[in-house]
Amino acid sequence: MGRKASLGGYAGQHLYVDMTKEQCKAVPIDRQFAITYLGGQGFASRILYDKVGPQTDPLSPENVLIWATGPFTGTLWPQASRYVVAAKSPLTGIFGEAHAAGHWGPELKFAGFDTIIITGRAKRPLYLFVDNGTAKLLDAKDLWGHNTNETEEMIKESHYDPSLRVSCIGQAGENLVRFAAIINDYDRAAARSGIGAVAGSKHLKAVAVRGSQDISVAKPDRYLEVIEELHKKMLDSPFTASRAQYGTTNLVELMQEIGRLPSYNMRSGVFAEYQKISGEAIKNHYLVKPRADYACLQRCGRYTLVRTGPYAYCGGSPEYESQSALGSRCGNDNLESILYGHHLSNLYGLDTISTGSTISWAMEAWEEGLITAEDTGGIDLEWGNHESIIKLIHMIAHRKGFGDILAEGSYRAAQRIGRGTEKFVMHCKKQEIAGQEPRAQKSMGLATATAARGADHLYAFPVLDEVGFDEEIGIRYGQEYLPEMGDRLNPKFKGIMVKENEDFCAVVESLGVCKYGTLIPPVLFYEDIVTTFEVTVGLHLTEVQFRQIGERIVNLNRGFNVREGIRRKDDSLPRRLTHIPAPEGPSKGQVVELDQMLDEYYEQRGWQLETGLPKIQTLHRLGLDDVIEDLRKQKIKLPQ
Amino acid sequence: MRRFLYADPTVCVGCRICEAICSFHWEKTLNPKKARNRVRRVDPGLDVVVACRNCDQAWCVEACPEEALRRNRQGIIIVDAKKCRGCGACVEACPFGAIFLHPETQKAIKCVACGFCTKYCPVNTLRILTEEELAVLKQQKVIQHECANLLDELRVEGETKERES
Ligand code: SF4
Ligand code: SF4
Ligand code: SF4
Repeated sequence: MGRKASLGGYAGQHLYVDMTKEQCKAVPIDRQFAITYLGGQGFASRILYDKVGPQTDPLSPENVLIWATGPFTGTLWPQASRYVVAAKSPLTGIFGEAHAAGHWGPELKFAGFDTIIITGRAKRPLYLFVDNGTAKLLDAKDLWGHNTNETEEMIKESHYDPSLRVSCIGQAGENLVRFAAIINDYDRAAARSGIGAVAGSKHLKAVAVRGSQDISVAKPDRYLEVIEELHKKMLDSPFTASRAQYGTTNLVELMQEIGRLPSYNMRSGVFAEYQKISGEAIKNHYLVKPRADYACLQRCGRYTLVRTGPYAYCGGSPEYESQSALGSRCGNDNLESILYGHHLSNLYGLDTISTGSTISWAMEAWEEGLITAEDTGGIDLEWGNHESIIKLIHMIAHRKGFGDILAEGSYRAAQRIGRGTEKFVMHCKKQEIAGQEPRAQKSMGLATATAARGADHLYAFPVLDEVGFDEEIGIRYGQEYLPEMGDRLNPKFKGIMVKENEDFCAVVESLGVCKYGTLIPPVLFYEDIVTTFEVTVGLHLTEVQFRQIGERIVNLNRGFNVREGIRRKDDSLPRRLTHIPAPEGPSKGQVVELDQMLDEYYEQRGWQLETGLPKIQTLHRLGLDDVIEDLRKQKIKLPQ
Repeated sequence: MRRFLYADPTVCVGCRICEAICSFHWEKTLNPKKARNRVRRVDPGLDVVVACRNCDQAWCVEACPEEALRRNRQGIIIVDAKKCRGCGACVEACPFGAIFLHPETQKAIKCVACGFCTKYCPVNTLRILTEEELAVLKQQKVIQHECANLLDELRVEGETKERES
């Protein structure tokens, strides 16, 4: 099927899969396309822009679901394990994407493909089997209704091959829960944007991959020398040792220290019982072993064991986001229930952030007397009732009873219930805000508001102002922005920071590598990418070119969202965060000065201040003339 | 003295860097199926590096109908690619799954304990060992495990003495 690309790093082929006709087709990747959009997020963004528009219902056959790796996925760049899945999101109705690590992404490339592009809808449940350059759709009748781990086991068994890699949905995706995830390698989650529901709507249960093809290296004589240098830098960073010890679990302690650990549906940024759900507690009582994804030196993955009781399990450990979402956010200090709730979410294929955040919305409404036992079918929603949290996870995945309403996400659930519960929805563009209380770190507030997939901490991932990386801030953004940029409570220069980070993150996710090592710890940067790209792919792109690619992808995402009606008014945060001062803790009295930061951000972006629309000259400078033309056809008037 | 590649499965994190490095070392490309070792994960997270143990009475050597496998002076089993016909008898014979057929040439490939991959292991658990050295490592570990409390007590006592003096 198809011919190989001449570029190193890439497998060289897209795999198009038409679910309706049950057909697969390999298409060579155009060299120019590769240089313009790199891979991963960039590829997915371009394909989605071209194939999906305002007329497309996210859960209809017309939506397009894209798995995409980058040219560094499966190579020896530190943390080269990543892939992206993108589609129009059933949660937000705009650009949707989710990312995960593990071993699946590299294996897709060893199987001969960089991307998989799924269209249509099958009449019956199917799974895709990509086997060393070939692809076919197979019957998934027996898999349907099974959780993600069972699905993975069953596929491995039916092919007599425990080494093949599976990316799949659980019951939540099948039941079109609007925040369903796609899970690979048992517990790596491409969680956000409700991407799992899109797979479910297409009756696509899983994608299994294996292969024995090369990822070729353009300059083998220089390759190892470059890689050795990157590995050395990574291992020398003091953060690597801490990551290996705690993963992200001890962020609970760190966030508590600066008042950034959301509790009680983000009313507050501190949680009195934080020690009970901390990284230290996990390490002392439940941690079995750290575990790495492909070519990962950070090894933030780990697995945990709860020996006995109702929450007994052995499997992937929660990371910080799940601890805060199912823990402090819901006022829950029962650590075993958090571990188990996280595991359940992986089995069902649920985004823990949206799950915990939606439940905490209901808990606050309960406390206010706006939701009662009549709504919940008798389930008690007292803060911290862990039994109810676990019950609700089951009910959401199966869309049973009150779970059916929650499965719509907190925004739609509040619309449905009304009674003033809307003001407790902690969202941006209908997606639940991650575990980053922004009143304690202003850049996170701005990043949450501007991220293309709706509320998101990772689209820009501004973290250097979190705990005093001033030196690195000076190097990455410029000395002239210090000390303000390094002060997490000062809104000044955060527009610049978030803009630069969004561009850089787009490059990172397009190359197929992790934000650990690139964003935090801030070890690898553009110059490392330039060198590694040259020896891997065989092309010399300059730092300026990479920066421009990042900016292009962000503007393309904005173009997609603008076409869906997104404007400045949507780049917003709940009133609680912009108007109500943080009630306690180290950031007491703070609010997010969003408007001020947005002005600076749009300025940097070359977008119009009043509307948030990209200016024509901005899109033109980035080579996006076709987007200008397309938006004109859609009767959207872009500013000069 | 037989030498072989070994990683402690309680320490190895399963990053598979050693696979990628091995394939690059021998073939100048990145392809785990061309690696001479294999990292197998026993879910949810025990990682085992599988590599040839250069057995004393090697099943693979006995099984090979072409006499393509022989032991060199360092005690390492070597594949003679000219003789190997890719029948896979050695794969069937090896009880560890430590010998494989190359995905393109279809000739047998296996770890020759060259040690190249060991310096890239991020948790520094990959090494070339003899059985004797492995036994010592394990003894050490057992002692540490079994006598953890005793060692702690000794340490505390030592510290107290230091403080007192
Ligand atoms: S290939 Fe297997 S049977 Fe042969 S020497 Fe190595 S471990 Fe022993
Ligand atoms: S010791 Fe040599 S042959 Fe064996 S796995 Fe390592 S690099 Fe490959
Ligand atoms: S490089 Fe080390 S940690 Fe990684 S898989 Fe190999 S032995 Fe395990």
